[in-house]
Amino acid sequence: MTKHFDVIVVGAGPAGSLAALKLARAGLEVALIERGKHPGAKNMFGGLLHNTPVLNEALPSFRERAPLERHVFKKTLAFMTPKSSVSLAFETEDFGESPGNGYTVFRPAFDNWLASEAVSEGALLLCDCTAEDLLYKDGQVNGVAIKGRPGELRGNIVIAADGVLSFLAQKAGLRRNHRPEDMGLGIKLLLGLPKETIDERFNLSREEGADISFVGTTEGLPGGGFLYTNYDSISIGLVLHLHSLKASGKTPYEILDKFQHHPQIRRLIKGAVPLEYSAHLIPEGGIRAMPPIYTDGMMVVGDAAGLCYTNGINLEGINLAMTSGALAAETAIQAIGAKDYSARMLATYKDRLKDSFVLKDMTTFGKATDMMRVGRLYQTYPEIVCNILEKIYRVEGIPRSKIMKLGRQEALDRVKLKDLIADGIKIGRGLL
Amino acid sequence: MITDLLPQLTQFQVDDQPHIILNKEICQSCEHRACISSCPANCYSFDEATKRMDVVYETCLECGTCYVVCDKEAVDWNYPRGGYGVCYRLT
Repeated sequence: MTKHFDVIVVGAGPAGSLAALKLARAGLEVALIERGKHPGAKNMFGGLLHNTPVLNEALPSFRERAPLERHVFKKTLAFMTPKSSVSLAFETEDFGESPGNGYTVFRPAFDNWLASEAVSEGALLLCDCTAEDLLYKDGQVNGVAIKGRPGELRGNIVIAADGVLSFLAQKAGLRRNHRPEDMGLGIKLLLGLPKETIDERFNLSREEGADISFVGTTEGLPGGGFLYTNYDSISIGLVLHLHSLKASGKTPYEILDKFQHHPQIRRLIKGAVPLEYSAHLIPEGGIRAMPPIYTDGMMVVGDAAGLCYTNGINLEGINLAMTSGALAAETAIQAIGAKDYSARMLATYKDRLKDSFVLKDMTTFGKATDMMRVGRLYQTYPEIVCNILEKIYRVEGIPRSKIMKLGRQEALDRVKLKDLIADGIKIGRGLL
Repeated sequence: MITDLLPQLTQFQVDDQPHIILNKEICQSCEHRACISSCPANCYSFDEATKRMDVVYETCLECGTCYVVCDKEAVDWNYPRGGYGVCYRLT
């Protein structure tokens, strides 16, 4: 059986479903294919759905309709040593104002909901379908073959929203083998805890949520820890630079175990019940690791296109993904109107991305990946910061130094001046 | 360790066809076997006595870590057939 669609979207994650929704709304015949039992069944992330204008525009009432956990109005960055921590906490009531700066969500619920919105606009959702190969016609991508099933799906344009590993981008010749240098491994444990306990421990009320990022909880490996509050559960986990993890010979779950047993974390999660454990890769290579994102008959969106960035303070992917999905849909609508599915036509997708915050932010923080690989950031520097604060606060009848002198001493005791300067330059280029 | 609880915590629809196939001869001579330590689901093990690498695909979280850390192309890794494999409920 062969059915011909205008567009086939592979992967019902946030990028794919938002693309399908926009295409269906424009009156096009869209197939949205998903390898899970339902959309979101294969998906995980740390936990924060960032405010995304294309989502707000497409579904203005999403706040009332989407399965959201808590709106995050409190952001904390914590530097940790095995016994101490220094935190910088920011909170504002404004983050709760509509449309909200960010919400914790569960991906199996959120992705399922977003796909159902695409279905109500007329997209055909096919679950239990793993796209195994691309089909071609006259040298242009023109459909996909489904693993273990006879028949094929044909369409003028394929949008590959098939996630970080994107076998479709590989089959199209757009990317080579993945490199552990460009990947982060995310692991997460979901812990059940009564809502009242969470509200009390994190000083929250109603549906307010907190988000804490940790530096120094990865046993010196580039990466960090995270904690998000959901309605009546807590997501706790780590992101580890895959190449460094591989070289260290350490296991991710043992690092997570130690993180959970840190005295300050233990207090926050005391009495919690493990509910689910999950893992996923993150395309962390930044703009330099991005593959070409279009070819004849095909566009690549979201994680599959490597659209994700971190600069140590911001970690964004889902908003970039949905924006790329919306822009690919716009491009497809135009291409189908012109009956031109060539790479030249689809190149306007890249132009749209360049004009949006997606590639602008990825360019702005293009050098942050160098900073993120500064090994001392993950153990030595948190220790220095904690030591300085400890010396400032500890009272024991010993004459004090002024803060600058104390800082210089602590830093130079641990790191050579030339390394300090080199790290400072990398951090400066990445962030300042 | 949390991975001991994995089959109770996370749902799997196990396929009778494995989605990971190892070239065990390559694994035998591999000097790092980083897949064993890097896999977040602890699916890999190496038996020193028989010099045999083994993978339990049944509790694979489908992250692709083993596939990316293997630099010897010993891991033939594909997504499971539609509907099979890990099935997250919450997370």
